[in-house]
Amino acid sequence: MAVNMRGEVVLPADHERVWEMLNDPEVLRICIPGCETFEPDGENAFRAVARVKIGPVNARFKGKVSLTDIDAPNSYKISGEGEGGVAGFARGGAAVRLEPAEGGTRLVYEVEATVGGKIAQLGSRLVNSVAKKNADAFFAKFAKAVSGETISEVEAEETALAAGETQ
Amino acid sequence: MYAFDYQRPSTVSEAAALLAEGAKLLAGGQTLIPTMKQRLASPSLVIDLGGVTELRGISRAGDRLEIGAMTTHAAIAESADVASAIPGLCKVAEGIGDPHVRNRGTIGGSLANNDPAADYPAAVLALGAKIHTNKRELAADDFFQGLFTTALEEDEILTRISFPIPERFAYAKFPNPASRYAMVGVAVAKGPQGVRVAVTGAGQNGVFRATDMEAALANTFTPDALKGISVDPSLMSTDIHADAAYRAHLVGVMARRAVAAAAA
Repeated sequence: MAVNMRGEVVLPADHERVWEMLNDPEVLRICIPGCETFEPDGENAFRAVARVKIGPVNARFKGKVSLTDIDAPNSYKISGEGEGGVAGFARGGAAVRLEPAEGGTRLVYEVEATVGGKIAQLGSRLVNSVAKKNADAFFAKFAKAVSGETISEVEAEETALAAGETQ
Repeated sequence: MYAFDYQRPSTVSEAAALLAEGAKLLAGGQTLIPTMKQRLASPSLVIDLGGVTELRGISRAGDRLEIGAMTTHAAIAESADVASAIPGLCKVAEGIGDPHVRNRGTIGGSLANNDPAADYPAAVLALGAKIHTNKRELAADDFFQGLFTTALEEDEILTRISFPIPERFAYAKFPNPASRYAMVGVAVAKGPQGVRVAVTGAGQNGVFRATDMEAALANTFTPDALKGISVDPSLMSTDIHADAAYRAHLVGVMARRAVAAAAA
């Protein structure tokens, strides 16, 4: 099944800084919900492991992430391919574009993803909602990261949140 | 199956003592077991609450109806106490899944899971019930916190639900024909807490209260009072069964049906 989602967010930072953060693996690791590792794997390519914990689901997914169509410092396409093992597969990409905006930089994203296998069977009612929730969580953290909070501050906050996390 | 430990305690305190990192409580297993079979969850310990008798049962205590967390949907559907106190709640239970699900699934399991298309969250929120755990009691408004998220902590066990008895209550849903999960379900209650309308299956972030509808129904409790009131489609979910605009429309239709049934 296909997941399509678009959105935009105005980030309180200048164009160059947002672009720099979008290309920083450490920033991406902190901002991707549940991301445990995000390591370079060749030029503009990464290997990532993320834990998805929502409702009854609590599983770890491995995947490859690559950046293509890079037009620095304006736009790129970030693509990922996850291998959930027997759980199913997910692959997709997001075209990300930066534009000047009042009070900072506007980031526009368009996501196109395909989910298959057991994940899609079990979660077809939910995949869109979960994808949106994760996208919102990503940009909330990313906005904090670009607005000057250091990575360790964002991470500390994250740890505090996780400690008080409810289920 | 892969290996995991299994415990079947006989009291709530024994169950609570077993809860640790990697453990999962098993109520009726209608969500957890399929998830485990799909390898989407692999708890190291499953704590089966099936042997905890204090968590089962239905009783009428003064102006409240008390239902134990491990009470099955079938038991609620057939209960004379529920039928006399909140007949609409029997109908909610009757409309869940199929006979297998109703004989295994429990009200506590459904609430703790807070599936955004489950039926009980709408009923419990509209009725303004109190959720009791082994540690505290929570108002329904504080309990539900979004998609699959509740106020329950990792080491907390939902024990019973305490319903105030409403003057009027009904639930109307548009079920998915295969799963019978609510594509949209609306519960409407008029009682000690005024008029409350709760919607499941539709919102991107799980069950929610439709406050505009509540205000209109507080004036006139008729389906016509809801004319012209709509929910914002941008807050509704979209999937292969129904898009957001259709779901928003269905919320209005189901709300009018629920009011008509409650007012009858």
